[in-house]
Amino acid sequence: MKSFFESKGFRELLRIVLAVTIGLALGFIITLFVSKDPVGAYKSFLLGPISRLNRIGDWLEESLTLILLGLVICIVFGASQWYIGVEGQMVLGAMAAGCVALYVPIPPLPRILLAFLAAMIVGALWGLIPALLKAYYNANELVTSLMMNTVALKIFEYILKAFIMTPKSRSISSELIEKPFRLPTFIPNLPFLQGIREIWMKQTSVTIMVYIVIAAVIIVYYLLYKTPFGYELRTVGLNTKFAHYGGINVKRTIIMSILVSGLVAGLAGAHLTLAIHNKIISNMTSGLGFEGINIAILAGNNPLGVPIAGLLYGYLRAGSDVMERSSDVSRELVFVIQAMVLLLVTAERLLPTIQKRVADIKENSENGTNGKPDVKNVKEGDSHVA
Amino acid sequence: MKPIVEMKNIVKIYDNGVVANNGVNFTVNKGEIHALVGENGAGKSTLMKILYGIEQPTEGEIIIDGQSVSFKSSLDAIDHKIGMVHQNFMLVPSFTVAANVVLGNEPIKNGFIDKDQVLKVTKELSDQFGLFVQPDAIVDGINVGQRQRVEILKTLYRKAEILILDEPTAVLTPQETQDLFKAIRTLVQQGKTVIFITHKLREVKEISDRVTVMRHGKMIGTVDTKDVTREQMANMMVGREVFLNITKPPMKRGEKRMEIKNLSYISETGRPVLQDVSFNLYAGEILGIAGVEGNGQTELVEVLTGLKRSAGGQAFVKGKSVLDHTPREVRQQGVAHIPEDRLTNGVALKESIEENLIVDRYFSAPYKKGMMLDYRLIENKGKELIKQFGILTPNGKLPVESLSGGNMQKVIVAREFSSNPFVLIASQPTRGIDVGATEFIREELVRLRTAGCAVLLVSADLSEVMSLSDRIVTLYEGRITGVFPDAAKVGEDELGLYMLGIKHQTNEEMEKFL
Repeated sequence: MKSFFESKGFRELLRIVLAVTIGLALGFIITLFVSKDPVGAYKSFLLGPISRLNRIGDWLEESLTLILLGLVICIVFGASQWYIGVEGQMVLGAMAAGCVALYVPIPPLPRILLAFLAAMIVGALWGLIPALLKAYYNANELVTSLMMNTVALKIFEYILKAFIMTPKSRSISSELIEKPFRLPTFIPNLPFLQGIREIWMKQTSVTIMVYIVIAAVIIVYYLLYKTPFGYELRTVGLNTKFAHYGGINVKRTIIMSILVSGLVAGLAGAHLTLAIHNKIISNMTSGLGFEGINIAILAGNNPLGVPIAGLLYGYLRAGSDVMERSSDVSRELVFVIQAMVLLLVTAERLLPTIQKRVADIKENSENGTNGKPDVKNVKEGDSHVA
Repeated sequence: MKPIVEMKNIVKIYDNGVVANNGVNFTVNKGEIHALVGENGAGKSTLMKILYGIEQPTEGEIIIDGQSVSFKSSLDAIDHKIGMVHQNFMLVPSFTVAANVVLGNEPIKNGFIDKDQVLKVTKELSDQFGLFVQPDAIVDGINVGQRQRVEILKTLYRKAEILILDEPTAVLTPQETQDLFKAIRTLVQQGKTVIFITHKLREVKEISDRVTVMRHGKMIGTVDTKDVTREQMANMMVGREVFLNITKPPMKRGEKRMEIKNLSYISETGRPVLQDVSFNLYAGEILGIAGVEGNGQTELVEVLTGLKRSAGGQAFVKGKSVLDHTPREVRQQGVAHIPEDRLTNGVALKESIEENLIVDRYFSAPYKKGMMLDYRLIENKGKELIKQFGILTPNGKLPVESLSGGNMQKVIVAREFSSNPFVLIASQPTRGIDVGATEFIREELVRLRTAGCAVLLVSADLSEVMSLSDRIVTLYEGRITGVFPDAAKVGEDELGLYMLGIKHQTNEEMEKFL
């Protein structure tokens, strides 16, 4: 057994930590130029999200959405489908969940369940069009799914404005979903948790979605790495021709990968309506769908890494909110930091290169000459004997 | 002649503990063609990667032209006029030939790339060394032989004096190989030095001045090529006598297992590739398809295994039609398939060895247990196959891309043979792999046939077809030109006449043997 510190997971983590540190440092340098009180601004950015209970709640809630979106991308990218229609699936999922929660006259529990179900099914079905086009006509899924996003957003706005919006509402939105049909708080109603529960409920609205997301992470992991479907999906993703030769139904796998990802995208939509906004509201997703790609990249496309990446990414977003409100630095600064972090993480050779440099320096200082390279600084990764 | 390359006591130990080179001494003289031979995994490529600066040696010294050097990367090696042509070409497919040649060091005029100059230098280099290319052609549209010439031109453009060619003939047709040899001779005449990695001993005899043999990371010896026979070289490579002639027990032909009737196939460009091909395949025999490459063999195999759709005809296994069915349906009739292009079709390089071994069976018991895959069982089955087929790897969790070519082929063979095939279709089963693996795979083919499997063998290696097959069919321009019921009784020359379409048997003559 290799020790944890030599494991791949640890190296991944180290890489992300390194990238984030460098990104934050660069962000600070920029802050120095743009702010009258750079230290204060940066402090509010770094510590803001955990400074108050309600902010922690906001951070967690946003992270939950991001984690779901990251999972979506893990699935489709795992099959090497460059599918980015999550935004559309999510917004229509949010609409479906909202409609059920608002208008279907059944008791709370079945109504909430039905709302989830509707959101997931709508999410999956919306992916069907690009999926079929890709599988049967080899239409580039990147293009079709991107176009389908626009279509979905317009449908959403149309339904909202034409059928749902009430004349008396001040914003373009539905009425609030009534309390019993929203998701309950994540702390169970048990006697000994009563105190904490009350404090949390007063200040935040983190719901039982926490558990659903944890379950989703585990299910997606098992689906991708332990089931025949996951094997098919990954094999198609790694070498389509080999998959076909081996007897895997490539078309079906491509379609299924997008459909399954749509279920999760729909779930994210349901989360927006039932837990975050508590109503259907215009511009609900605001481009969140694309953040899933960043999360998946940060997580190295591994579902188990997605929660960490989602929380981290969510933290940066939450911090940027706080900073904008409490200092003279705008949230765009954080986009720069996020971009830096992603660049550094995707620069896959970063860590090996640094390791090699360090080894070289060490060696040179030890030998004092241009001694022969030793085992330590051998390039890692593609060691194979031919 | 003075040495231009001296590698002294080279040791290379990879991070994962694999000892690839163990005290290798290697000397190349200026202006010679030096063959470097050894089985896959013998450490040839590693040694050359060290010389080219891609890998750094754990120990040892490299002397180029009398000067001790230490390469940190291949850029250092290029500075010392070393060029390498890899097995897998590294070209930009959407660029022209000329743009690829100058890539990274383009001639500049007024801050822009001087397009005319680019074409001109490519043309000049091409003419000077007899490496004929069309400078303005797009790389995507040219064939493998031409691409290789572009790769060689790239190194020459960077002023290489020492050229390393890593198994250059593995991807070439016999005709292209001859062209390459001609070009290599021209290069040497103009003072270049060529190091030629291969394991085709016939080519060593044909092209090289001296030959160095490696085995298990060690250098066995360097000799003048004219002083050794192929058998002696083979002996040095594997450390034992190799039986180039296979002994096989007499054939016991059983029932008819596959029936192919009037099969035809038309290519995407509308060219009729297979026309009216009919033959039967019987249990307990190896039926060899002999033909010059490009006469429909590849397509025949791909149509029969479900990878391509036919343009007419029928094919039956166990009385059930298998033509134009999915690859899975064909496999479920008991047809196993060793594909011609192992890197594209045969494996998923980044997937683990274990997972590559189950692609034809993961969906059924015992691999599938309930809704899940039983990964413990997959690991154990993988271990069994790795052991049984002698796949050289620390464990089955590693990606297939970590294996050498011969071992990759063993992964495919292990999977296809272990499915207990009713019919086995083997396409180029030993192409581009080392003597040891070749011998192993040939023996396994014969063993399978003797155990009663029906084997269809397609190979560009005529001696392989002749020595393994019980019965031979010749294919010329997509038609069967002859059938030889007793492979042992037909001569190479005779077969050649049918392969080249000079002689034809009539339908009546063929009918009773097909």
